[in-house]
Amino acid sequence: MDQGINRRGFLKLSAAGSAVLATGSGLALLTGCSSNDGPATGYKHFRQQDVDLLTPLVGAVLGSALSDAGATAEDGMKAFDDLLDGGMPGTRGALFQVLDLMQLGAARWYITGSWASFADQSDDELQQTLANWSASERSLSRMAFKGLTQPIYMAWYVKPTGARTTGYPGPPRKIVA
Amino acid sequence: MQDLTTLTINVKDPWKDPANGWDVLDGRTITDNRTLEADVIIVGTGAGGGVSAEILSQRGLKVILVEAGKLKSSDDFKLDEGAAYRDLYQEGALRATKDAGMTVLQGRTVGGTTVINWTSCFRTPHETLQYWHDEFGVQGLSRAQMDPWFQQMETRLKVEKWAIPPNANNDVMKRGCDSKGWHSALIPRNVSGCWNIGYCGMGCPTNAKQSMLVTTIPGALDHGSTLIHSAQADTLIIDGDTVTGVRVRPLNDDKVPTGATVTLKAKTVIAAGGGIQSPALLMRSDAPDPNGLVGKRTFLHPTSFAFGIYDKEIAPYYGAPQSVYSDEFNFKHGVNGPAGYKMEMMPMHPGLSGALMGGFGKRARDEIERLPNLAASIAMIRDGFHDDNQGGTVELRDNGEPLLDYPVNEYLLDGTKRAHLTMLEMQFAAGAKEVRPSHADAGYYKSWKAAREGVAQLDYAPVITGLGSAHVMGGLTMGADESRCTVNSDGSYKHLNGLYVIDGSVFPTSIGANPQLSIYGLSARNASALADKLKA
Repeated sequence: MDQGINRRGFLKLSAAGSAVLATGSGLALLTGCSSNDGPATGYKHFRQQDVDLLTPLVGAVLGSALSDAGATAEDGMKAFDDLLDGGMPGTRGALFQVLDLMQLGAARWYITGSWASFADQSDDELQQTLANWSASERSLSRMAFKGLTQPIYMAWYVKPTGARTTGYPGPPRKIVA
Repeated sequence: MQDLTTLTINVKDPWKDPANGWDVLDGRTITDNRTLEADVIIVGTGAGGGVSAEILSQRGLKVILVEAGKLKSSDDFKLDEGAAYRDLYQEGALRATKDAGMTVLQGRTVGGTTVINWTSCFRTPHETLQYWHDEFGVQGLSRAQMDPWFQQMETRLKVEKWAIPPNANNDVMKRGCDSKGWHSALIPRNVSGCWNIGYCGMGCPTNAKQSMLVTTIPGALDHGSTLIHSAQADTLIIDGDTVTGVRVRPLNDDKVPTGATVTLKAKTVIAAGGGIQSPALLMRSDAPDPNGLVGKRTFLHPTSFAFGIYDKEIAPYYGAPQSVYSDEFNFKHGVNGPAGYKMEMMPMHPGLSGALMGGFGKRARDEIERLPNLAASIAMIRDGFHDDNQGGTVELRDNGEPLLDYPVNEYLLDGTKRAHLTMLEMQFAAGAKEVRPSHADAGYYKSWKAAREGVAQLDYAPVITGLGSAHVMGGLTMGADESRCTVNSDGSYKHLNGLYVIDGSVFPTSIGANPQLSIYGLSARNASALADKLKA
């Protein structure tokens, strides 16, 4: 599903992308790449294809927030997975639809401005992709950027490891009698 | 540098005292079908449900409270941001409007949003109540008629103006407004013996916050009520034109139905799930709605932010989170003119900070590393008072979960732009060295002049304009006007017997202030009237 331009699929995506994402219906049919293989090993929610897709992006978004804590992109990805624990099935379903869409090279190009998989981009290229993506005027791009980066940040900085790198000393100690 | 990590908190958890004799059912353990009966079933345990339960049970009525969230109490409140979002917030704090334009912080636990709010208590503004009367035919809710109910709840919940000096974050609001000659005042808070540590949003670890969890729900349980938590009210049971009960699905630890059904039967059912959940319950139940109004006019107080950097330490994560506000711009253009907004400060713990600041890579990292010196102001737009601002619409996902569609339109964007300018001006007046508005394209401005020029260049469009909400209101509009309203002023639903709505979803507009005291006061009034009726 990730090879070459599927022109028909791409045109449908361009025309209907926002509407499909917003209504959350029919996307699996549209892209033909929805998967329900269950969570990847070591994850509670993300599927293997999500982990492969997103881990490089998590590393690029968080950048030195990870290295300053002695952590890796995989740690950031696991934190994102933990954050999804609180979500309802519908919340996670909407996210997975975006991720299914982004498995398509054409969709990545439409949304992020870059065709290549995040895993195939160098650090500099990923930063450039993020810069282009965040500056996009397409509403679908803006929704996807915010919908992915906002939880990535929240997930990492709620972790005490991440929180301590912001200068926040931490909370008082709670003792349960 | 302020550092509270050596402070130790050790308080007694009233929920862990076996001597309290409270009748509490944990849905996670319910795997068999069962039926329970009561005089009144209350769906939801937040500001509306908690107050209603205490008042009705004190009058001798048998009450069953149903709560989708889990029971978490002070022993569980470990001041851990991640655990709080997971356990105490709707959708694990991942709730957002349909187009991701606004994040929505709303509670989902026994006690509802009152467990995680920042304790600000304001009586409903006179202008708002008058507008409801004039536009929607709301009866009996003038400010003079409501004041005794506000007074009753202020006494019950120990609401008083904050007497300790504001933390540095809130002092920014005071200094900035003083410098500009703008209104500012101290915020009344529902706390008793507050430690002033700043963790209201994670569940009060000291039980100082007078949330429903430690006040009215224990009061109701002391009077023989039953609480079922971790149990989702799925649908109303409707027989002809009368509600006779509620079908409830117990949920396991992962919020997945256990497969059992609990059938609750009563002659009176109160929907108290709040804006979004109460309309969704009626929609799932196919409740009669001849004018298609259920779920319409849902309001959020669309809230923008400004982040200021100061030479001195602010420590925006410590201290009472909200203690100073400004109403300078709330009704400046009248009740129904261009968007008005109330200004307050917000607490900044790292997770919420990272989420709201946004961005990516080095710039985002540089920004959050200055957190100890950062102040965060917020401006909450009064929505629902203008023809161009009709709020959002609750929809159901395929699996019955609610989703709010609330397009961010020009009216809100214009208000947000003006709110950004006001907050930038206020923070520079308070001595900020740099300030940034919540807009994805905006960097830090180093002077008020640069800020004014910079904001003029920004594209105010949905999603890139940073907006959030912590106040969900409306969706089941109250009033006499049948063409616009679904609920009468006494809380009774217009199209079904036996169904009452006693929560913030009945508000015909947003409040124009943090809504908890508005919900408490109206709920006390309507629950008392309902008790009179049921005991007559």
